[in-house]
Amino acid sequence: MSANPPAPPVAVPAGDGTTREERLLATARRSRATRLRLWLWQVALVTLFLATWEIGTRLPALSKSVNVFDPFFVSRPSQIVARLWDWTVGAKAGYLWPHLWSTVSATMVGLVVAVVSGFFVGLLFSQKRELAIVFNPFIVALNSLPRIAFVPLITMIFGLGLASKVVTAWFIVFFLVFFNTFKGGMAIEKELLDFCRTLGASERQLTRSVRIPNALAWTFTALPNAVSFSLIGVVISEFVGSTTGMGYLIIVSLATLNAADMFASLTVLSVVGVTLVSLFQVIERRLLQWSPEFREQS
Amino acid sequence: MIRLDRIEKTYFARERDVAAIGDISATIEAGEFVAVVGPSGCGKSTLLHLLAGFDEPTGGRVLIDGKPVVRGTVPKGLGYIFQKDTVLPWKRVRENIALGLTYRGASRSVIEQKVAALLKLGNLEGFGHAYPHQLSGGMRRRVALLMTLACDPQILLLDEPFGALDTHTRTLLHRELIGIWRKMRQTVVLVTHDLDEAVTLADRIIVLSRPPSRVLLDHRVDVPQPRDVFSVRDTPAFADNFRTIWRVLGEEFREDARAEAPA
Repeated sequence: MSANPPAPPVAVPAGDGTTREERLLATARRSRATRLRLWLWQVALVTLFLATWEIGTRLPALSKSVNVFDPFFVSRPSQIVARLWDWTVGAKAGYLWPHLWSTVSATMVGLVVAVVSGFFVGLLFSQKRELAIVFNPFIVALNSLPRIAFVPLITMIFGLGLASKVVTAWFIVFFLVFFNTFKGGMAIEKELLDFCRTLGASERQLTRSVRIPNALAWTFTALPNAVSFSLIGVVISEFVGSTTGMGYLIIVSLATLNAADMFASLTVLSVVGVTLVSLFQVIERRLLQWSPEFREQS
Repeated sequence: MIRLDRIEKTYFARERDVAAIGDISATIEAGEFVAVVGPSGCGKSTLLHLLAGFDEPTGGRVLIDGKPVVRGTVPKGLGYIFQKDTVLPWKRVRENIALGLTYRGASRSVIEQKVAALLKLGNLEGFGHAYPHQLSGGMRRRVALLMTLACDPQILLLDEPFGALDTHTRTLLHRELIGIWRKMRQTVVLVTHDLDEAVTLADRIIVLSRPPSRVLLDHRVDVPQPRDVFSVRDTPAFADNFRTIWRVLGEEFREDARAEAPA
């Protein structure tokens, strides 16, 4: 080939006499320092927030006059931590786990059912134009309904157990996955299919090697949102009618006007939400490692 | 042998029908390297679509080795390179190259042998495990070509395959294409808007008119083979051939410009 081997870097000292290596190290040091500084800002913000909360609710002048500093309504960080301690290893050790498990397991089951069904229906509709045209108005109508309004009905039909939660989660997540997969299935380039036809693919081979992977990619993109929606569905279902779960704990806290219980439950739910979404972001990235869109992000 | 027998192609649309191909007849012998040039909208790409069976003509017949091409069935031994990137992004390079062989149910050892040979042919050794997005545009074009070559095509249809590349990459690919063709002697039909490219590569150039198109000129390129893609442009033979075709093609472009100019 015509390319010459690249010339080795020559260590020309800069104006201040530093070498190339020293300058590279300095650049790396600067970017590390920037990251650390930004992280410290975030820690400071959280600390400020928690400190205001803790101290504000202990100052009689504030807590007696302003509702958002009244510990009866907003509890306080130290109480919340104490409550979480009670629920896990303290006075009521183990109280939390069944509720936590109930919510997380329902979220996962609902997610799997919704993703699998949304994928298949989305793929099918994207390949069968007539089917898509016939069903399109109904799906659009269903999707624009306030689906939360159906949760009492779902609870009436499926009872107070796991089934209601899973059905609610499915009802909310299905459309997200369906629309994503459908759009992806429709967006496939005709040239890609024609090219593979010239390589000798039968229709079945085209579906297996081109149509399904193409649609799956779009399904995977919906995963982080889907898990977040699934959790929302499960908690709403627990609000409406259930005997276990984090949503149930929140409703009981409301009934007993117990702010510490309420905030302890909310804290656990937030951790669950953040963990599940980050987990599925990692999974999505792994599944789509071939995709150019993810190269920039990682 | 490819025979186009009084081909006509009109696209029917709601407002008005669009006649792309008016009346084209041509015969292309096995092993010929033919370029098709013409102004935009003259049905160059449509011609290739008809040959591959992606579409059917409104009138006339397309025959390959005496057999009529049927819509929806790609004729045996036909390879097609699109202008668009058609490499499967979720498959590694070697899996992409092996795709046609897996469709045919080739055994694993045959696939492995063939893929290794093709990677070598395309100067892509060491990139077998890479994903397409890790390659440059020119390399991805080579992968698409290797995917097609894996199926041992006797006919290669190239639909502006180098249009999206920079000059340097395009010239390198020209050299590789000429090398492959010289070795394997497929019938090549290259559609291009680049007359330079046509004269560099082809033995014969068919010039189409503005739509509804017909054959304006069927020109045999007498630039001696083997050609060196880097220096052929400087030869007097190249300039002569270019000028002969440009005299006809340039007139079509002028007509096009006149039609588009405000009255």
